[in-house]
Amino acid sequence: MRSLLLLWSLAPLAWQLYTSLVTPEALVQGTGVEAGAYWTLENYRQVWSAEPPIWRYLLNSAVVGAATTALTLALAVPCAYGLQRQGGRLRWAVTLTLLATAIFPTVLLFLALLQLARALGLANNLLALSLPYAALCLPLAVLLLRAAFADLPPELEDAARLEGLDLPQRLRHVLLPLLAPSLASTAILVFLFSWNEYPIALTWISRPELLTLPPAIARIAGSSLFTVPYGAFAAATVLGSLPLLLIVLIFQRSIVSGLTQGAIKG
Amino acid sequence: MIRSMPEPFSPIPGLRIEGLSRRLGERSLLADLNLEVGPGECLALLGPSGCGKTTTLRLLAGLDPASCGRILLDGDDITRQDAGKRRVAMVFQSYALYPHLSVADNLALGLRIRGMAAKERDSRIASVLELLQLGELSLRRPAQLSGGQRQRVALARALLRQPRLVLLDEPMSNLDAQLREELRPELRRLLCGREQPVVYVTHDQPEAMGMADRIAVLRDGQLQQGGSARELYERPANRFVAAFLGRPAINLWPAAAGRQLGLRPEHLRPVPAGGLPARVQRREWWGNQQLFWLESAQGELRMLLPAEQELPESLQLGWQSEHEHWFDSHSGDRLPAP
Repeated sequence: MRSLLLLWSLAPLAWQLYTSLVTPEALVQGTGVEAGAYWTLENYRQVWSAEPPIWRYLLNSAVVGAATTALTLALAVPCAYGLQRQGGRLRWAVTLTLLATAIFPTVLLFLALLQLARALGLANNLLALSLPYAALCLPLAVLLLRAAFADLPPELEDAARLEGLDLPQRLRHVLLPLLAPSLASTAILVFLFSWNEYPIALTWISRPELLTLPPAIARIAGSSLFTVPYGAFAAATVLGSLPLLLIVLIFQRSIVSGLTQGAIKG
Repeated sequence: MIRSMPEPFSPIPGLRIEGLSRRLGERSLLADLNLEVGPGECLALLGPSGCGKTTTLRLLAGLDPASCGRILLDGDDITRQDAGKRRVAMVFQSYALYPHLSVADNLALGLRIRGMAAKERDSRIASVLELLQLGELSLRRPAQLSGGQRQRVALARALLRQPRLVLLDEPMSNLDAQLREELRPELRRLLCGREQPVVYVTHDQPEAMGMADRIAVLRDGQLQQGGSARELYERPANRFVAAFLGRPAINLWPAAAGRQLGLRPEHLRPVPAGGLPARVQRREWWGNQQLFWLESAQGELRMLLPAEQELPESLQLGWQSEHEHWFDSHSGDRLPAP
């Protein structure tokens, strides 16, 4: 059962990796190609030496992703805290509204967003992309973090209040360290969204050196109008997945660790 | 006297609560509480859950706002003062230790925030750790401590601040019975008899009697009676106090003219003749004494006797009139003997 599940989730990735490492002839003809012309790094060389090279897009996506994540968390933490601690009767109304916004199909928004970008002069600005991204991620981030705040025993904050810690100090020294696992998993979700987002990036950015990875990959051209550069697509996709893998691996430890253990008599 | 009328500002030391109330919407959590706790005195707030004792504590700490009334600490009105500025320390039922910090860092956080120099901070922490015999645990995290150790760390954190008032919210309810008994004198030694007043919340009657100089019994947000354990036990102001203090519970039965008679189990005695006829239903032998469950015309009664005493199955019960407690059967208030 487990191996079936692994196959289910890993097979497309393996196929992608395979596609990126073989020549177009091998991809089309399979075993008919002679051994020397089968495996190749040509696809990687192509995306790496293109103008602009793929690392440029990786960098753009990383910048947008980091800005989006920082902006989202900076806004979501106070929202979630306020909603949980001061929400009162409005809490459930606000939470439901957030949920409704979180499940709203973003595709319906991007034309309106494009108008906004034009009106405010935000087109072709890499950092400005993080504004709609953060706005779209915010409902989910607030929902996740509110639940995380709700799981913290309120006495911890009371104790800190009695010791003279004001709200920013309580957040910095007591609450946020305890929320580290939730913050990390929320950050990863937001970063993933930003990393993979296509329609808004496509419509807001037109200058090639400012593209993020998804529209950039879509623009990779074949040698003629009638060839589809499968190998180059695959190579770019593999390169685009590596940073995500790295981030998840780094944050995994803080996601798993059960930091709140022992706060309350077990 | 524990009940005192509100009067204008008086710079007396200690804690003074005047007409303190807290309402949440329509619900009254605490109504018109008046209490005084002198310096070094330990007052226990005793009552069943939901009686308003924790509410009172949170008002004193400044964690919740009072609806009306005043809290005076050493003559200063702290009713509207911010919790962090009151220099009030609280030990929580759950201890509320910061789980991500070591014992030493748990203690240091508050001092660091107030900008205390590292040298003074370390010496203060070291002395408190020594006082509570926590020295060798200072690098552990709360999760690595036993319940009793966590409680001592919470206590250390409270004492470290040299507070003007110490509040304890059921500090021992998470410990097992034996540890609780062991800790009681230690807690008294550490807390009481210092300069600051101590308010101790518990629903455990022996704990209140063992810890506190005085006890205030609360019910439904209303002060029922305040006084020494002995006063409360011997002259309960109403039926609720009589029933809440003392285990096994007081026997109550209806008497003539809308009255109720209360007799504590240790005050019933078998008599040769002329008493209340009763039959033995059940006996609990406790080693140092024994509890008899009796069936009588007044319903089921409890009688506490020395362990070695034997009883016939049918007997007559007697008591001395000075041990009688009379209550109004409607209001429950204490009445003079008829």
